[in-house]
Amino acid sequence: MSASSAPAKPRSFALPSHLTLPVLLGAAITLFWIVTALSVDLWPIYDPLDMVARRLMPPSAEHWFGTDALGRDVLTRTLHGARSSLIMSCAVIFFAVSIGSALGAIAGYAGGFIDNAIMRLVDVTLSFPPILLAMAVTAALGPGLENAAIAMIIVWWPAYARLMRGQVLAVKAREHVEAAVAGGAGHARTLIRHILPLCWGPILINATMDFGQVVLLAASLSFIGLGASPPTPEWGSMISEGAIHFYQWWICAGPGLAILSVVLGFNFLGDGLSDYLDPRRS
Amino acid sequence: MTKLYRRSHFARWRAAALLCISLTAAASFPALASAEDKPLVIVRDIDINSLDPARAWCDTCQIYLSNVYETLIGLGTDNKSLVPRLATKWEANADQSQFTFTLDPDAKFSDGSPVEAKDVKWSMERLKNVKGDASFMMDAVRSIEAKDAKTVVVTLTGPNSEFLNILTAPYTGVANSVEASANGAAAGEDAATADKGEAWFLAHSAGSGPYMLAEYKPGDVLRFKANPNYKRSAVAIGDIVIKHTKDAVAQAQMLQSGGADIAMQIDPDTAKTISGGELSVETVPSYNFLYVALSPGAKDGGKLASKEVRQAIGYALDYDGIIEFTVGGQGKKIPVAIPNGFPGTDGLPEPKQDLAKAKELMAKAGAADGFEINATFPNMNAYGVDLSLLIQKVQQDLDKINVKLKLTPVEFSVWRDQVRGDGIPLTTVFFAPDYYGSAQYVQYFGMMEGTPWWKRAGGATDASITNAKTAELLTKVLAAGDAEKPAIYKEIAQTMIDDRIIIPVVSPDLVLAHAKSVTGLRYSACCNLLMNELGLK
Repeated sequence: MSASSAPAKPRSFALPSHLTLPVLLGAAITLFWIVTALSVDLWPIYDPLDMVARRLMPPSAEHWFGTDALGRDVLTRTLHGARSSLIMSCAVIFFAVSIGSALGAIAGYAGGFIDNAIMRLVDVTLSFPPILLAMAVTAALGPGLENAAIAMIIVWWPAYARLMRGQVLAVKAREHVEAAVAGGAGHARTLIRHILPLCWGPILINATMDFGQVVLLAASLSFIGLGASPPTPEWGSMISEGAIHFYQWWICAGPGLAILSVVLGFNFLGDGLSDYLDPRRS
Repeated sequence: MTKLYRRSHFARWRAAALLCISLTAAASFPALASAEDKPLVIVRDIDINSLDPARAWCDTCQIYLSNVYETLIGLGTDNKSLVPRLATKWEANADQSQFTFTLDPDAKFSDGSPVEAKDVKWSMERLKNVKGDASFMMDAVRSIEAKDAKTVVVTLTGPNSEFLNILTAPYTGVANSVEASANGAAAGEDAATADKGEAWFLAHSAGSGPYMLAEYKPGDVLRFKANPNYKRSAVAIGDIVIKHTKDAVAQAQMLQSGGADIAMQIDPDTAKTISGGELSVETVPSYNFLYVALSPGAKDGGKLASKEVRQAIGYALDYDGIIEFTVGGQGKKIPVAIPNGFPGTDGLPEPKQDLAKAKELMAKAGAADGFEINATFPNMNAYGVDLSLLIQKVQQDLDKINVKLKLTPVEFSVWRDQVRGDGIPLTTVFFAPDYYGSAQYVQYFGMMEGTPWWKRAGGATDASITNAKTAELLTKVLAAGDAEKPAIYKEIAQTMIDDRIIIPVVSPDLVLAHAKSVTGLRYSACCNLLMNELGLK
């Protein structure tokens, strides 16, 4: 009897240990909102700017999240709100990571005066409460999504600069870097080829975790009138409009649930990434 | 020994029980006393810029000034007739350019000193010379003479049949000149720089009205106490507090929880949520209104220079829809930038949407393809109307004639700077009366040289903005008798409608919400709320 003729054992299906339920849930929520942001124009739903029904209608079969004070469908506006919120948050994270990482890497690698200059700038920026700094910058530049995004980049880059500097300092002392330098590698080559590839893990984890916070800050700026201008569907400004009609709870419920789910989704995903990329933490 | 111990033990318990009862009683008596002395609480957004009668300019200022500083003349309960206040009688010369007032011999300031002609002269001159927001009310005054202690003669630069109405505005209240002067206030021609009284007025009052200032904490409370020297009428409530409560929902909640007795800034949608047998909610027409303003002279506002385009915008607006969407139908249409019911407004045609005509006018102006203009607006709630909501409705309406609005919400102070600076092509804002009379509206909104909206609309650079007929008719009406005035004001109103610089869109009703125990609450056109008329049952 050959080994191949032995009855095959049923194979048990098991997910990799880092793919926990929260991580899967986070991935599903995140995927949903990304797909929504990219394709909401194609969905067979109402126009987010049109009056489609009587004003302040409670949730019904036609309008699942009810209508707002101008008779616009709250669900439609919530789904369209994903576009401005997510695209802006992506842009903020991308630029904050790029600027912060570049400056942090230079500071950590160069040391001395350059390190001091960059890190003191980081200290000064981090000494302001984020919402206050963002409000001040947006108030100076004028309201609008673009200016709110600039304000948030100014708020967020120092965290990445500090993180990247720490990573570069740790990796710089390793033997393979010393070997590369001894082998005649220039500064740029040493930094880019031998140090940075080992530094991205924590940055990626932080960026994922921060995504939800950026969505929250963007919504906060819009809530106080410094973000999206009306009638742009944006979660923060929708909640602000809903706050006037306090007893018509459904106006705030849609965007509120959207913010909750996005923040939760990215936090779950960030935790999963953290376990996957940095097993010491788990 | 045991017995003694037991007795002693019992005595200790009894003493402890008595102590508890006494402490409870002691604690509850002050509570009862404070319940009786509880002030009447009014909740509203305290928008005070100053408590100085020559500098104050806001809705809460109207309430404060009218209750603390008496004016020469009062406005009757019909919101139209003139009634004696500090002046027991007055007479005008034939062409209404000189007025003589006889003061009440019993009128006293809160410090007990008599109100004299010198105080009237000083207060009116100070209002004029400090050059605050309300100084324009004294623009027509040439001289003020204190003929004797109780007689004042005011001479104007020309006839002004509305001067007596102006004197009902709370900003013209009379202050104690001796007390205020001793504390840095000045009334001379250099008062704009020499006057140092504003800080003193923030903590003290020097009027002869039914109330005195008890306490003012900016952004928190404004407290009044009854003036013991006020004898014109009985003051039923000795202690009144205006508590800063910014939004309508919070005001309604305060009222429902018993934390407030009166709320006057609740919007109609929120009013529908107020319930309870102890509360009364009454909706009354108001003289406040909101309007769309077009400024061809503003930066990038050139497309609005064509009167056809401005008229098209007027026809494109859905006035019924605006009232429905902004105040849930609790408001009135308003044909011209003069409150409904004021002289000259009777019989004016109601504005209505006519999209076909609007498109025709756009085509006639060569603007059928439309254009985009900036619409910066103050991001706030005025008289129950959310301006953001209002301008979004305007945006939807104008989209139908291809006029695209780029909305930019800003703080009110930023809006004011912009509108006075480069100007704003299209905006929405509000106005409330200071007294009963139509001239102030013509002088504020009319396209005559020097008026605020003439300047903002670009009258200085574009001659076509100026409407000579409006100025001519205003001169005529100010010299006219009472019988002729309505007809002339109506003609003026028609010129203002035709200009289409100011397009009024809604006159929101006012919600008076209060505890049923409060009596005498009414809306006053000049003064908002007269506290000495309030009572408790």
